[in-house]
Amino acid sequence: MIRIEGLTKEYAGNAVVRDVSMEIEAATITVIVGTSGSGKSTFLRMINRLVEPTKGVVEIDGTDTREMKAYELRRRIGYAIQDHGLFPHWTVARNIATVPKLLGWDRKKIDARVHELLELLQLDPDEIAPRYPHQLSGGQAQRVGVARALAARPDMLLMDEPFGALDPVIRAKAQTDLKSIQDRLGSTILLVTHDMAEAIRLGDRIAVMSEGRVEQLAPPAEILTHPASDNVRNLVGDDDRPFRYLSLIPVSERTEEGTAEGTPIAADRSLYDALAEMIWSGREVLPVVGEDGSARGLVRRGALLDAARSVA
Amino acid sequence: MIPRPDKLGAPMGALLAVALALPLASYRANRIALAEARGLFEALPAVWAAALLACAVATIAVALFVRPPAIRLAVPALTLLLLLIAIGVAARMLMANGADYARVAPGTGFWLAGFALSILITDAIVRLKPGPFLRLGVFALAAAAIAAILVTGEWNALSILAEYRGHAATFWREGAHHLQLAFGSLAAAIAAGVPIGILIHRSERLKGPVLSTLSLIQTIPSIALFGMLIVPLSWVAANVPGASEIGIRGIGMAPAFVALFLYSLLPMVANTAAGLSGVSPSVTEAAAGMGLTSRQRLISVELPLALPVILTGVRIVLVQNIGLTTIAALIGGGGFGTFVFQGLGQTATDLILLGALPTVALAFAAAVVLDAVIDVLPGAKA
Ligand SMILES: Nc1ncnc2c1ncn2[C@@H]1O[C@H](COP(=O)(O)OP(=O)(O)O)[C@@H](O)[C@H]1O
Ligand SMILES: [Mg+2]
Repeated sequence: MIRIEGLTKEYAGNAVVRDVSMEIEAATITVIVGTSGSGKSTFLRMINRLVEPTKGVVEIDGTDTREMKAYELRRRIGYAIQDHGLFPHWTVARNIATVPKLLGWDRKKIDARVHELLELLQLDPDEIAPRYPHQLSGGQAQRVGVARALAARPDMLLMDEPFGALDPVIRAKAQTDLKSIQDRLGSTILLVTHDMAEAIRLGDRIAVMSEGRVEQLAPPAEILTHPASDNVRNLVGDDDRPFRYLSLIPVSERTEEGTAEGTPIAADRSLYDALAEMIWSGREVLPVVGEDGSARGLVRRGALLDAARSVA
Repeated sequence: MIPRPDKLGAPMGALLAVALALPLASYRANRIALAEARGLFEALPAVWAAALLACAVATIAVALFVRPPAIRLAVPALTLLLLLIAIGVAARMLMANGADYARVAPGTGFWLAGFALSILITDAIVRLKPGPFLRLGVFALAAAAIAAILVTGEWNALSILAEYRGHAATFWREGAHHLQLAFGSLAAAIAAGVPIGILIHRSERLKGPVLSTLSLIQTIPSIALFGMLIVPLSWVAANVPGASEIGIRGIGMAPAFVALFLYSLLPMVANTAAGLSGVSPSVTEAAAGMGLTSRQRLISVELPLALPVILTGVRIVLVQNIGLTTIAALIGGGGFGTFVFQGLGQTATDLILLGALPTVALAFAAAVVLDAVIDVLPGAKA
């Protein structure tokens, strides 16, 4: 668990992060979202002390981070950034091995870990490990960056706009993959983005930052249904709010008894997907099926619209 | 229809044609007598002259109208090789009916043809886009060819080798001095320049003053700088105990070494700083974020990534020092410059060449080798 209290950073008397406090539960994703210049990166970098706070405390599992040497702290925290920052003169394998090497792991253990991580990130170890970063596509480089951040099984992962340089299709895939990796490993992730859609898709909780302050810290549904300020409301985008909300709710939550005709929709898809399917196929009712394909009931358009209206 | 002649091939072909009409060799009755010109057919046996002429004509045709770079390389290279051997043959033939102290030197035709052929060869090599290893290979082949010509005595009748035989002992000693000065001052400049470069990369405040001081030194003409160092070094030699025992004097190697060192600092410092600031900010941020200490960051990330730029500085310094060391002879620093200045004093062209040609060859070799090394580095690709 991470406890942050009164964290403040001033440059020449100007506060760029002001008095931020929050607690982050282990094995959750917290997304910091805000416009450019709102202080997200500075906030994130105070956690691994790439930026020294002017005031405030960061505690990881009860230990004040100031009690450790900065480089020892950083070896315990994974760090992934937008331009991935892979070392261009090292192979992928050597890049991923960076922190394990610093920690003095033996070679066999490092090789096995590199192999395991590349597979976890769906990269072919034999093909990718010996390559240099300039021989990777943008999506591959980003995944190697994440693998490198995960290499030494860090307590937590800091990610600063990790998908910022990816095109929309690869980006969506990278988000889904991150979510499933986090599920599998139970990592604690603090992720910075300026994209609210990304925040809603990934976050267990979202912290909305504006001018150095956290204006609201809440689960995505609450951010959508009860924005705490005009800033938050603007960031969500008034027009999109109902749709974003629908994208958060699984079909199973609005499934009713009964049977219907046509192609069914899976219970774990979102209401947003169900609405899209209704619009495309011109139906008012869709049959719902479980993972195993068994019938679960049906979902009605009226129920979707009711759900969407509840955000307004 | 005649195809359009090649842009570079046309002037070089013309130059080669002119060279054929100019004297291939010059003959002097003795070392300082007036030179008499000897044309292609006067200087060579008819077979050799005809062969050389045929090769030259073929080269002109290739230079003008042939596209494939491999042919553009092979034909002038063959012609150049023939020219180099032919000048030895010419010297032997002309010497055969002359007195013992007669001298035969390459004439304007030889130099002009050599120049045109070298340009054509260089151009063809560039068009081949060779990798670093191929470039080194081509260079080694050329060096081996020249060494073979020298070792087999093909050129022994040429005046410059007569001059060499007259100075054989001092030639190698001065050569060693030359290399000591050029490489020694380079080593000192690396040892001082890289740390200074790291320092000014980290301190914006020091950067301006350091770089402008070093640039100021560069603007002092070399002869003036050599001269300026005589006074302080004489003082050191006279007043610091032990200084003169380790060879510090107002004239000689010491001021030459110091001057070369001072000239070398700017390229080393500036290139180190430029190389370091060229490292992508996301890479340095990632390195810090991974938990590398500032020393580990410098040694395993920043310096390796800056290495190509730093080595470019080394290349600049080495080529510059090999050239400047020639001037060191003026203040008794030794080196190939000794022959150049002696030759200037005696108006003995051959002696000047005995100093100048090895200097040019060394500088060229240093440039080719370091360029290849820079290209091989993994950081260069990123
Ligand atoms: N080292 C620094 N010195 C002075 N100002 C800084 C420094 N780093 C960041 N800032 C300022 O702090 C503000 C927040 O920056 P940042 O945390 O990078 O924002 P974000 O990541 O949300 O775009 C910006 O106005 C930026 O100019
Ligand atoms: Mg930022």
